Amino acid sequence: MYQVDRAYSYIFYISLVLYLVSIFWGLFVTPEDFVQGNSYRIIYLHVPASFISQSLYIAMAIASAIFLIWKVKLSAYLVRSIAPIGAITTFIALISGSIWGIPTWGTWWVWDARIVSTLILFIMYLGLISLHDSFSNHEKADKFLSILVLVGSVNIPIIKMSVEWWSTLHQPASITISDKPAIDLVMLYPLFGSIVGFAGIVTCLVILSSKLQILRRERNKSWIKNYV
Amino acid sequence: MNIIKFELLKLRSKSRGWLGPILVFILIMVAFPLTVEISNKDLGNSFFAVLWIAILLVMMLATEDIFLEDFNDGSLEQFAISNISLPYIIAVKIFIYWLLIGVPISIIGSLFCLGFTNSSNLAINIFPILLITSYIFINVFSFGNALSLTKGSVLGTLVTLPLLLPLLIVLGKAVISINLNLNYLGFVALLLGVLSIIIFLIPLIISYIIRAHLE
Repeated sequence: MYQVDRAYSYIFYISLVLYLVSIFWGLFVTPEDFVQGNSYRIIYLHVPASFISQSLYIAMAIASAIFLIWKVKLSAYLVRSIAPIGAITTFIALISGSIWGIPTWGTWWVWDARIVSTLILFIMYLGLISLHDSFSNHEKADKFLSILVLVGSVNIPIIKMSVEWWSTLHQPASITISDKPAIDLVMLYPLFGSIVGFAGIVTCLVILSSKLQILRRERNKSWIKNYV
Repeated sequence: MNIIKFELLKLRSKSRGWLGPILVFILIMVAFPLTVEISNKDLGNSFFAVLWIAILLVMMLATEDIFLEDFNDGSLEQFAISNISLPYIIAVKIFIYWLLIGVPISIIGSLFCLGFTNSSNLAINIFPILLITSYIFINVFSFGNALSLTKGSVLGTLVTLPLLLPLLIVLGKAVISINLNLNYLGFVALLLGVLSIIIFLIPLIISYIIRAHLE
């Protein structure tokens, strides 16, 4: 916990600066898009948020597997503390996508696979929180939460592949590992910067939230009294 | 074999458990045309939307107390320590629920399909899809109800319903391809694939959850 406290401020300020610089770069330096005009610039919020919202779920799934297999208590705390942050980032992705939809698609909302599956992800985050909070016995709640997270992780590939599997309004992914990016390099660099910066900020939030979780759950232990 | 007979008798004697959901299903299907104009020719289009949602809701109702009664009277604990494996007993339980609720609903559903769309081709083709779908729904909702065993069924449904929504997209696509006379067997194969994974995994997961509840 002491090491985390020391590293925390570095991560936070570096990623905050990185994110702000990429946003500035993306908003004022990069040129207009040929098709979408200025409206595409919302990707510097939308893409990081939707990317992180899925990554957080994968992180939760890994932590739940660790908890169920090796019974590491800390990873159960991690699962519980990621859930609200995941819900918030998914919400940001939904809202920013819907704002982007007005100039490009002409509508706030379409019932298409990717958007609906992101909404499902949002609902699932809320369901996970409510499931955990309904049990007063924390050990049981941790166990059930981890099982549900693992079962729910089938949705992640569906969200990821929905743009390819179903005909949809949503554009296919601009950046893939195997292919040449479908986005110009001038726009790509700030996008990468914003993803990394956003990830760093969210990591800091996760650290804060899990710290809170540890303090709350272990409040009767003597080391907490020394720490506080 | 004994277990199958035992579960069958247990569910059959509890008519509220199996007859209730079927009647609710029929009532929903009867009530739905009353809300739109009777002469509406587009009734067939919105029929499938109502059909899938009705099945979803009815399966939710049907599995409401699938484990609760056994948990309260202690027979679930007896099962857990008996020498028959718990996942097997749970799989049988789910199968019996499907046999007494899912199969009748599938038959009634395809009859309603014939009535609403006037197309016997559609009604025949929709039947296997209904069978598979209702089995998947029962499995997933049983999982949800096992999670919230002592907390009421709303919570369990709330957390497992999102898992089923991608399936509804597949069902919608399947109906479209039947309507257009395209090959819909791909969708049946996809549903069967999902079912074949679920049918083995869900009883294992549920038995783990139930053991955690009994601790």
